[in-house]
Amino acid sequence: MKHIIMVSLMVIAFAKVYSQGPPITADKPIMLGGGSFTMKTLTEIRNTERGTAVYAPVMLHYLPTSNSLVAIHLPYINYDLADASGSSFADMKIMGKYQFYRKDGMGKTFRMVAKTLQTLPTGEELDLMELSTGKYSGYYGVVAGLETLKYGISSEIGYNSMPDGTLDEFRTKLGFGLPLLKPVYPNNQLNLYFEYTSSWLHERDWYQLMYAQGIQYARKNITFDLALQLPLVQDMPDNRKFNYSLFLGTRYTF
Amino acid sequence: MKNTIFIATIIFGLFAFAKADAQTKKDRDQFEVQVDGLGCPFCAYGLEKKFKEFKGIKDVKIEIETGDFSFSYPASKNLTMDAVVEQVKKAGYTPNLATITRANGAVETNAKETVAIKQGNLTNSELYVNGKCGMCKARIEKTVSDLPGVASATWDVKTGMLTLEHDTSLTTKKAVANAVANAGHDTKTVKSDDATYDALPACCHYKRTK
Repeated sequence: MKHIIMVSLMVIAFAKVYSQGPPITADKPIMLGGGSFTMKTLTEIRNTERGTAVYAPVMLHYLPTSNSLVAIHLPYINYDLADASGSSFADMKIMGKYQFYRKDGMGKTFRMVAKTLQTLPTGEELDLMELSTGKYSGYYGVVAGLETLKYGISSEIGYNSMPDGTLDEFRTKLGFGLPLLKPVYPNNQLNLYFEYTSSWLHERDWYQLMYAQGIQYARKNITFDLALQLPLVQDMPDNRKFNYSLFLGTRYTF
Repeated sequence: MKNTIFIATIIFGLFAFAKADAQTKKDRDQFEVQVDGLGCPFCAYGLEKKFKEFKGIKDVKIEIETGDFSFSYPASKNLTMDAVVEQVKKAGYTPNLATITRANGAVETNAKETVAIKQGNLTNSELYVNGKCGMCKARIEKTVSDLPGVASATWDVKTGMLTLEHDTSLTTKKAVANAVANAGHDTKTVKSDDATYDALPACCHYKRTK
């Protein structure tokens, strides 16, 4: 109940603070005009054999130019795990993106972006991948995507390095977006997303392939996102296996 | 008497409003830019948002399927073509043909120079091109306008007739037919290949004739 109330509050709080309509669990290469801010949240309720964690970040993205982005993610986490429970500030993240390739056509665009995500050890040492590890890590990757009025494809490949831990990871993502309504402006969109995430933690010899089914409702500068992520392949200890993640979010651009 | 004064006041008010509106429109420059890269409605939002930096911008319209972006701006501020083109680039998109119709009737465009075309060789031609929507129109006109020796090209959505003014020594009607076929549109003499036709957006899938 506590989780539901918290998530509801986060969604309502940002319902008047807007966004754009990119993938949900994947990333996007399109940046929305220089000099703009995007405030967003994407709450994740992650259930594993170890327990449940609710991760609620507040993310502020700023585009100094049309091909660069800096962002800060301030997350709060509530966890009820087999070996720990409580609430705390999670690992803070700082993101940078630079678009190095762009090819535009009528009603379509292909872009490539270099991306880094620096995770700072501000959270508890919970060994919750991407949520709260209490350790520094640096992610470096490339995001590429083709966006057309008929469909969107986004992909990402990258490596996460954790010098003082064992969550070094090769990560790849592939997402497909399908608009269900005719594209019009001002926006009134209902989009379906089909997203795959592959994660290989080579030091632990863990592997996961996950599928997320998402739906998004988007207006002029606000989106509401909902996605359910489920495991397709898991090669890891039974007591750490992933059951599902539920994502609830909203984004607002101003 | 009271009613007469009341009606007269309303009529006068409407007249004054209409005159003020006409005056306002007369004092504004009209801008039209064809923008590439608008792959989703959010891209259009990014474009509009960037142009809101031009204080006084009004009447913003974006046709997402064709990339046609139009707005009006106070003539007194004398917004230049370069500033408009640069602002589209700053928004992260690619500007193509841009036209400014100034409040005094003058028209400016960034269209490529056509001085190389010999005026004496210019011929008016008509060609049937299959298509069905505004996006087809933008694609066909852009494809033909980019051909050497073409001074103007207009395609009618209802009749499918392409009217062009071209230097026949530089571009023949057959070359035009080949170019539009390569862009996915059949003519009576040249058919587009199936893969190109299939790659057109759903709204552009016109009925093909055998």
